[in-house]
This record gives sequence, C-alpha cells and structure tokens, in this order.
Amino acid sequence: MSDTTSGTSVLPSGRSGDYVRWLSLLACVAVIIVLPFVFRDAYWRGILTICAINILLAIGLDFIFGYAGQLSLGHSAFSGIGAYVSTVLVTSFGFNFWVAFVCGVLGAGLAGVLLSAFAVRLKGHYLAIASLGFAVITYQILVNWISVTQGPLGIYGIPSPPSLSIPGLPEISFANQQMYFYLVASFALLTYIVLRNLISSPIGDALIAVREDEVSAASLGIYGTKWKVVAFGVGCSIAGMAGCFYASFIGTLVPDAFFITESFMILAMVVIGGRGNLWGAVLGAVLLTVVPELLRGIGDFRLIIYGLALTFVALFLPGGLSGVIIQAMRRMGLAVSGVKGDAHV
Amino acid sequence: MLDLLPILAQQIINGLVLGSIYVLATLGLTLIFGVLGQINFAHADFVTLGAFAAFFAARLTGGNYIFAILAALLVGALLGLAINGAVFSPLRGQDETRPLVATIGVSVLLENTALAVLGPVPYVFDSPYSNQVIRVAGMFFTVQNMLVMIVAVLSIGALYMFLKLTFLGKALRALSQDREAAGLMGINQKQLIALTFVIGSAFAGLAGAMLGPVLVLTPFAGASVIVKAFAIVIIGGFGNVEGTILAGLMIGLIESFTTQFLTPGLSDIVVFGILLLMLAFRPTGLIAERREENV
Repeated sequence: MSDTTSGTSVLPSGRSGDYVRWLSLLACVAVIIVLPFVFRDAYWRGILTICAINILLAIGLDFIFGYAGQLSLGHSAFSGIGAYVSTVLVTSFGFNFWVAFVCGVLGAGLAGVLLSAFAVRLKGHYLAIASLGFAVITYQILVNWISVTQGPLGIYGIPSPPSLSIPGLPEISFANQQMYFYLVASFALLTYIVLRNLISSPIGDALIAVREDEVSAASLGIYGTKWKVVAFGVGCSIAGMAGCFYASFIGTLVPDAFFITESFMILAMVVIGGRGNLWGAVLGAVLLTVVPELLRGIGDFRLIIYGLALTFVALFLPGGLSGVIIQAMRRMGLAVSGVKGDAHV
Repeated sequence: MLDLLPILAQQIINGLVLGSIYVLATLGLTLIFGVLGQINFAHADFVTLGAFAAFFAARLTGGNYIFAILAALLVGALLGLAINGAVFSPLRGQDETRPLVATIGVSVLLENTALAVLGPVPYVFDSPYSNQVIRVAGMFFTVQNMLVMIVAVLSIGALYMFLKLTFLGKALRALSQDREAAGLMGINQKQLIALTFVIGSAFAGLAGAMLGPVLVLTPFAGASVIVKAFAIVIIGGFGNVEGTILAGLMIGLIESFTTQFLTPGLSDIVVFGILLLMLAFRPTGLIAERREENV
C-alpha cells in the first residue's frame, strides 16, 4: 500500500528543488507578514494567533502519529505541561519568560519521553489507551494540585513575553496582538522547517520504516525503540511550545483547556488534513480553527459538523484532504514536493 | 473503630454498585475487542443514549422501569448494529487506527447532537426505586442500588450461560480465538460480528438505564464513565470477560474508597496510575491471556 521508494521521485532535488523551497519559504513569510493587515479586527487577529498555536500542535502530533505511526490520544496533556511549567515559573518564581519557555518546552519533551517508555512496549490500541490515561492523570493533577496550579480556578493575569528592543529599531512589544502573532507564527514556521528537514533526512526514513513494519526495520538495523523515543520527545516538546504561547496569549490558564477532548481536536486536525504529511497537518489545523469560527453563528452545531467531518474523512479519505490534493495534482501531471513515503494516498 | 466499620461497609456497597455499572458499561467493549480486536470509542455515547432512552420510556409509560430497561436495551442494540454497519464492517482489514479515529468522530457527533437536542442541564431520572431507602446497622442504600447489583449479576450470568452453553456462544468464542479457523469451520463471521455488536451495545444501553437514576444524567454521562471503562478493559485484560468483571468491581471499590478517605478527584489519578503500572509491568491484564502479540 505504500510507495516508500518515492524519496527520489517526488522530492524536488538539486538546484530547481532548492529554488522551489526558497520561493515557498518566501511566500510563507510574506503571507505571515500580510495576514494581520488583512484581518484588522482584534477578534480575527486573535484567531490568527490561535491558528499558529494549533499548527504547532498539529505538526507535533503528525510527527508522532503520521510519521512514526504511534497513535497518541494525549497530545493536549503535553501542551498543558508546557503551559503550566512556563506559567508557574513566570508568575510564582519570577523567571524571565524565555527561560521559563525553554523549561516548559523541555518539561513537555521529557514527559513525552516518559510516555514513550510505554509506546516502546505497547502497540496500537494499548498505546492509544495508555496515552489517554496519561492525559487523564495530567488533567487531574492540574485540577487537584491547587497549591501550584490554583486548580480549576485557574491562574490569572499571565504577563505577555517581555518586549524586544533591538538598537536602532522601535521597541517590539508582544502585548501588541500583531507582534504576538508574528512571534508565534515565526516559531511555527521555524518548527515546520526543522521538522521538514528532519523528515527528509535519514531520520524520517527510519521513522517511516518503524511505522510501516517494525520487525523489517529492525532487520535493517533500525532500532524502533530509539526512534519512538525521538518521535515522542520532539513531538511533545512542540506541543509544550504551543502551550507556553497559549498561556501567555490568553493570559489565563485553566485545566479544562487541556482536557482529553482537546487531544481529539488535535487528532482531528491531523487526520482531516492527512496524516504523514506535514503541510496536510497545517491545512487541517487552519481549517479546524477557522471554519468553526465562521460557523460560530450556529452554536453547538459546529462541533456536530466537526464530528461528522472526522468520521467522514476516516471512513472515506484515508489520506485526508492533502491526500486528495496530491492525487489531483498527480493526475494533472504535477510533481508534488514534501511528500515522503506516504502510505495513505 | 466502632464508627469505622459501618463506613467501610457502606463504601463497599457503594463501590460494588458503581463497579456493577462499570462492568455493564465495559463488557461490550471487552466482547467486541475479543472478537474483532477493535475499540469502539462511541461506546460511551451508547451508554448515554441508553440512559436517555430509558428516561423517556419511563416518562411515556408513567414511570414503568421495566419498559425503560427494555427501551435502553433496544436503543443500545440498534446503535451497535448501526456502528458495525457504518464503520467497522466497511473498514475491516484496514489500518487499525482508522476505525478508532472514525469512532472518535462518531462519539463527538453523538455527544454534541445529544447536547444540542437535550441541553446541558442534568435530567432528574428517578426510577420507582430511587427513593426507597433501606437502613441496616448504620448503613443505608436505596432499592435502586440493590436493583443495579441484581441486574448486573443476572445479565452477566445470562451472558456467561450464552457464551458457555449455547451453540452461538461457542461459535463466538471460536471466532475470538481464531477468526480464520472459525471461518473454515463454516462459522458466518459477518453475522456473528454483528451479533457481538448487538449484545455488547445492548449491555451499554443497559448500563445507561442503571446509571441514569444513580449518577447524574447529562449528555456527558457516558463519557464520564467510559474513560474508566477503557482502564477497566486493559486492567482486566483486553477481551477477557472474567478479568473485566473483576477489574470493574475493583475500580468501583477503589473509587468509592478514595472518595471517602481522600478527595474525589484523586480517584482518577489512582485508577489511571494503576492502569499505567499494569501496562508497564503486566500488560496482559489481571487474568493472563494468550494474546501476547498485542503487547
């Protein structure tokens, strides 16, 4: 069902490939710069930032689920760990935001490595339930460890990251929504590039090999355990990063923001966008953030639609929306970049 | 010490009542996993919809609890047939995460449809037995509590007899042991798998009818139980009926004791802590099975 040899055929190579890459990077940067000017409304600028945060969550989970093939139903827990570690360090211990940020990212990554200890031993459904259990425990700790997390009352008045002053330029204040969007979007773009490079390196091949057939991979000297730990460590750190940004963006932090249903939401982004395809995850994150906002007028029905969409895609479009797009482009005879060994198209 | 004994006895009863509901809610998951090796994530919502079916049936018939139970069984069975036909049957033989993800979607769909139609305000579902209290030696429990345990014992007994004594039950066990070999012996897999979904989901509906008058009835009633149900399935050993019963009662007891002696929220931490420990050290569950290839 897979064409894992596709590394050569679909990846742009050599000079023209580099050219395409730089162009698409420039296009991304341009889009990021222009977006806040298109959406001047404070509400929609907020949605933009949430979009960038969700992209971080989705590509992190896609790395674990789409590439390494480990179904984690606890992704929201890692974003919660990142958010709470960084926020508590800032508000209770007076840490600088960026120091706390690094601690939050590392904390979430470490928790991910801890969960991978189970992933190493468990497969499929067992891992799904174990990760769900991990998320429930994390949520309950956030609710019950009141002396640190303030429990369900939540932490209020979380400051924005400190202003950035570069000599010769006006001071950049992240209390400004536009600047905050630029900050999160740049991190999302950087993370995307790092992940894409990881995936197109031999590391990506190893992850996909583990996903497709762990025994065969082992016979080729690919040590599954190691790569599962790597996948969880990297993917969960990214979730932690998203959590840090979420906390300082919203300004308040309650455990409900990291309930297990949030994990399902992130999973839906990856599945609807198309697992095992980074830009598919980005597409899914954007769609599932923006479309519900457009449908806000019809209230609870948006969640019904989102449930329907998830079911429909899982039933009929195993490659997700990106799979549909890739097939359409192939049919038109266009080469598709950034797709590697996708088993789902 | 004199004060402690009634409290202990009371908590044991509460734990067993809760555990009985958990067992009823979980048996369907266990049966389906045993035969098909798949998880139905929407099972929780079958519990919820069963509870609401019972609620409305009771209201229509002027509080007849027998009709309420029958309605819940019927709704559960129909939902089981539907999910098998819509998700599990078309996706058979595919990547195992696809049905799982699809049923997560179904669960979100059902839960929010129920929320849109029924609203978030808890329904008061009093069975005729909810308010009849029996007091014995400082403990008290309602007739409904007794009924939950009796229904659980009877229905589990019936399931057990069915599996061990009837031809269909034998065929089902054969199917869960080796699907190919069972097929070669002329067992009709499709019908039996559908039957498994019907039985398992009817149990979910029954759990709903029992749970409604004991716990709070909202569109999220099933979801609050089901996360623990997954823990129970694993602690008991996936696909193992005896293990599920044992684990369900155990979790019910743990929960009522942590609620009494610690804070209520801790019960989830204890339950899932046990789950993770089990997964780490004894992934085959309380009662070991031969299903080694899954771990």
